[in-house]
Amino acid sequence: MAWYHRLRNLMRGDALSRDLEREMQFHIAERAEELMGQGMTEREALREARRRFGNVQQQKESTRDADVVVWLESLVADVRYALRALRHSPAFTAVAVLSLALGIGANTAIFSLINAVMLKSLPVPHAEELVSVVRFQGSARDPGSAGAEFTNPLWEQIRDHQDAVDAFAYGQASFNLATGGEARRVDGSWVSGSYFPVLGARPLAGRLLTRGDDDRGCPAVAVVSAGFATREYGASEGALGRSLSLDGHPFVIVGVTEPSFFGVDVGSRVQVYAPICARAIMQGGAGILDGRSTWWLQLMGRPRNHYGADQVNARLAAASPSINAATLPADWPVKFQAPYLRSTLGTEPASTGYSDLRDRSRTALFALMAVVGVVLLIACANVAHLLLARAAARQREMALRQALGAGRGRLIRQLLTESLLLALAGSALGALFARWASGVVVGLLSTPHTQIWLDLGIDFRVLVFTIGIAVLTGILFGLVPAWRASRAAPQTALQAQGRAATSGPGRFAITRGLVVGQVALSLVLLVAAGLLLRSFQRMVTIDPGFRRDGVLLVSMDAANTGYSKDQIGSTFRDMLDRLRALPGVRSAGASLVTPISGMGWNGDIEASGFVPKSERDGVVWFNGVSAGYFATLETRLIAGRDFGPQDVKGGSPVGIINESLARKLFGAANPIGKVFRTRNGRGVSPPTEVIGVVQDAKYRRLNDDNVATAYLPLTQTDPFGSSLNFALRTDGDPQALVPAVRALAGGVNAAISLDFTTLSEQVAASLARPRLLATLSAFFGALALLLATVGLYGTVAYSVSRRQSEIGIRIALGADGSRVVRMIMGEVGRLLTAGAVLGALIAVAATRLLQSFLYGLTATDPTTIALAVASLALVGLVAGAVPAWRAARHDPLEALRQE
Amino acid sequence: MGRQRNDILQGTLALLVLRTLAVHGRLHGYAITSHIQTASQDLLRVEEGSLYPALHRMEQDGWVKAEWGTTDKNRQARLYSLTPAGRRQLAQEQESWARLTLGVGRVLRFA
Repeated sequence: MAWYHRLRNLMRGDALSRDLEREMQFHIAERAEELMGQGMTEREALREARRRFGNVQQQKESTRDADVVVWLESLVADVRYALRALRHSPAFTAVAVLSLALGIGANTAIFSLINAVMLKSLPVPHAEELVSVVRFQGSARDPGSAGAEFTNPLWEQIRDHQDAVDAFAYGQASFNLATGGEARRVDGSWVSGSYFPVLGARPLAGRLLTRGDDDRGCPAVAVVSAGFATREYGASEGALGRSLSLDGHPFVIVGVTEPSFFGVDVGSRVQVYAPICARAIMQGGAGILDGRSTWWLQLMGRPRNHYGADQVNARLAAASPSINAATLPADWPVKFQAPYLRSTLGTEPASTGYSDLRDRSRTALFALMAVVGVVLLIACANVAHLLLARAAARQREMALRQALGAGRGRLIRQLLTESLLLALAGSALGALFARWASGVVVGLLSTPHTQIWLDLGIDFRVLVFTIGIAVLTGILFGLVPAWRASRAAPQTALQAQGRAATSGPGRFAITRGLVVGQVALSLVLLVAAGLLLRSFQRMVTIDPGFRRDGVLLVSMDAANTGYSKDQIGSTFRDMLDRLRALPGVRSAGASLVTPISGMGWNGDIEASGFVPKSERDGVVWFNGVSAGYFATLETRLIAGRDFGPQDVKGGSPVGIINESLARKLFGAANPIGKVFRTRNGRGVSPPTEVIGVVQDAKYRRLNDDNVATAYLPLTQTDPFGSSLNFALRTDGDPQALVPAVRALAGGVNAAISLDFTTLSEQVAASLARPRLLATLSAFFGALALLLATVGLYGTVAYSVSRRQSEIGIRIALGADGSRVVRMIMGEVGRLLTAGAVLGALIAVAATRLLQSFLYGLTATDPTTIALAVASLALVGLVAGAVPAWRAARHDPLEALRQE
Repeated sequence: MGRQRNDILQGTLALLVLRTLAVHGRLHGYAITSHIQTASQDLLRVEEGSLYPALHRMEQDGWVKAEWGTTDKNRQARLYSLTPAGRRQLAQEQESWARLTLGVGRVLRFA
C-alpha cells in the first residue's frame, strides 16, 4: 500500500538516507569495475563512474523529496478542491456547518464542565501527589464508610503523632464582613498552618500563613484572594496591613494568594483564609477547638518519604488506635464509643481536590454527556444525508474523473477532505458556542446564596477532545457517502440515462436507515425531556404545606452584641413583638429552622405504644417555633391549639405534631393530650404533651417523603447559638419590608447582623438543579426534534425529486393529487413508525438511568412516552406532508420533460 | 495510470524497469541499467540521476519490493523484484505503450 510505505519512510529518516547512500555507492563500484575491465586504472575508473552517476547528494535529496513533496502537493490540492466545492454550494455548507457546530459545541461545553468539575488537577505543584485523609468505620477499608470530617483534637493528634503524611486541615466558613446590619458574606476557610506550605501555594503579595501562625493563642491574621483584594482595596498590595472584620472580630491581612489559587474545593472560591487557632476568639470558639464531637475539619496532605499508598495506609492504620484513644469523647454513650475506637485512618487520592459539587453533579453531568452525544449523532446523520444527496448529484463528475485515471482511493480521500473541512469549521464555531454555553450553565446552577465558580478555561484536554470529536464526526458522516460516490462504475454513470439507472432501491436503504435512526434518537431525547419537565413541574406544584409567596425571612445573629444567652432570648422575644407592629406586616413568627433551607434538626422520639419499624423510623424532624409561626406560614392547625403565653420556659413541656407524626405514633387515635419523649445523647426528655396537630409541611427539601415533625415552643428549647429566624408575612412585595426591619434591628442594637431572603426565593433555590436539568433537556430535545425533522424533510423531498418522472406519469395517467400524496405519506408514515418503535424500545431501556432525578414519575411513565410519540408524529407528518403536497401540484408535463 | 509527469521518458523508464524485472526476477539497480542498455543494443541509456528516484517511487507505489541481499561477488546490494501489483501495472503500461506508438505512427504516416 502506497500510503503505508510513505508513512514508514517519513519515519525512517536517517536510516533511509544511509540505505540510499549504500545503494548508490554499490552502483558506482559496479560501474568502476566494468570500466576497469575495459582497461582503466582503478582511480580513473572510479572517477569516471562517479562522474557518470552524477551528484549523489542531489539524487539522495530528490529521492526523499519526491515522497514528501508529492504527498504535500496532493494534500494541498485536495484541500483547495474541497474549499472550492464547498464555496459553490453555500446553502449546503451553511446548514452542514451549523448542524455540526451545534452538535460539537454542545459536546464540548458539557465536556469542559466535566473537565472543570471532575478531571482538572488543583492548580498547585505536583497535585498528583495529594491525598485526602479519611476515617473508615472499623478496620475494613470499605469506601462507603469513609468519613471525611474531623474534630480539632483529632486533627491535632494526626498533625503531631504520625509520620506517614505531611497533612493540613481546612474547614468551610462563611464570614460576615459587616459589623452590624445586613450581613455581607464571603466564602472563607479556616486553615491549619501547614495548608499553604504543603500545597505549595505562593503569595501574590505579602506572605501566606505558615506553621508558626497556627499555635493556640495566635494573633488574628488572615490571607485574602487576589480577586477579593482587587475588589475591596483596588490593588493586591492595597490589602496588606488592612483590617478585616470577620463575624465582628478584627483580623489583619498579611498576604494575598495568586489569582489561579482558589482553595481545594472545586466549585467554590475561597476569598478569606484564617488560621484555625484564631477560631478561639470567635463565638463559642474555644469550645469548638476542644470539642471532641464537633466535626468541622477536612484533611489532605502529601505522603512523606515517597511512601506508596499501601505504606501510607498501613502506617496510618497503625497510628489510629492511639489517636482514637487520645481523643475519645468522654460523654458519649458506650454504644458509640466502641466504633469510635475501632475506626482507622486511611487515604484516598485527591489530586482534583475534594468537591461537594462533584459528588452532587456526577450523575447529572454524565447524563448530559449522553444527551449531547445523541444530539451530535443526529446532526451527523443530517450532514450525511446532505452529502449523500450531493454525491448522487456528482455521480457523473466522479465517473469522469475515474475514467481520466484518478484512483478510487484518491477520490475517497478527496471527499473525506471535504467532510473533514466541514467538521473542522463546525468545531471551530462550536468551540465558541461552547465557551458561552458552559458559562450559562454554571450561571444557571448558581443561586444568590451559593455561587458556583469553575475555572472553565480551555485547556489541553478540552482542545484534544474537540479536535478528536471533529475528526471522528468528519469520518463518521463522510465515509459512507465517499465510498458510495466512488463506487460507480465509470461507464454506467456516463450514460445519458445514468440517473435513472443508478437510483435504485439500494441507494434509499441507507438514507431510510439514517432517518429511522434519527427519528428513534429524537424520540429518546423527547421522552427524557418530557420526564424531566413533568417531574420538575410536579415539584414546583407540590403543596408544601405552607404558602410561600409574600413571606420575608430574616436571620438575626446577636453574636457580636456581647449579650448573655438570657439577654439574647429576651431581645429576640421583644423583637418579635416589634416586628409584628411594623406597617405592612400581617403576621410574624420565629423559628430555629426555616422551611427548605437545607438545614435541619432531627432526633429520636418515643411514645408509649409506638414501636419503630426500624432505627430510622424512630427518627423525626424537630423545630423550635414561636406562637404565630403556623399562622404566618399559613400551615393549617387541624386540632388543638397553637403555642401561647402559657407555654413558658420551665413550665410543663408541650409540643405540636403534624399529621404524619400523629399517625406514626398514635395511629387513628386522637393525639391531643397524649405524650411523647425525645432522646438525645444526654438522655430522655420529660414527657411532652401534645397540644395541637398541624398539617404536614415539607421540611428540608421539596421532594422529601418523610416529613414527620414535632414542633416545640421556642421558650422550651435551647437556641442554636446566638441566631434566630423570623418570618414576616405581608400582602405586597416582601422585599419592601427590608428597610424597616433593618432600621428596627439597628435601633435595638447596631451589632445585630441580618441576613434577608424571601421564602419563595429559598424554595426556588432548592429547585435550581431540577430546573436546570429540565431546561437543558427541553432545549436538547427540541434541538434533536428540529434536526430530525430537517432530516426527514430532506429525505422525502429528495426521494420525491428522484421520482419526479414516475409521479408525472402517474398524474398524466389520471391519478389525482391526493393519491400521490397518500403514496408519499404512506412512506413517511412507515419511516416514522419504524423510528418511533425503535426509539420507544431504546427509551424504555435508557431512561431507567434518570430515575434518581425524577419526582412522582417512573422512568417508564406511559403518558410521557405517549406525549413524546404524539409530538414526534405530528411534526414528522407535517415535515413529510410539505414536499408531498408540492409534488402532487407539480405539472406532470414538466416532470416528464426533465428526462 | 499513476501520476502525470510531463517527462514521457520517466513514464517509459518505469515500463522498462518493470519489464526488466519481469524477465530477470531479482536485480539490483546497476544490473537493471546494464540490461536496458544491452537489450536495446545501446539505443537506450538510462540517465543514472533519475534511476534511483524512479525505483524509490515505484517501491512507494507498491509495484516493486526491495531487499538487501548478497551478489555472487559477495557484495551487499539492494535487490528489486516485481509485486503482483507491479505485474498488473506492467500489463497496463505495455497496453498504453502499444496504443501510443500505434497512434503516433498513424499520425506520422498520414500524408
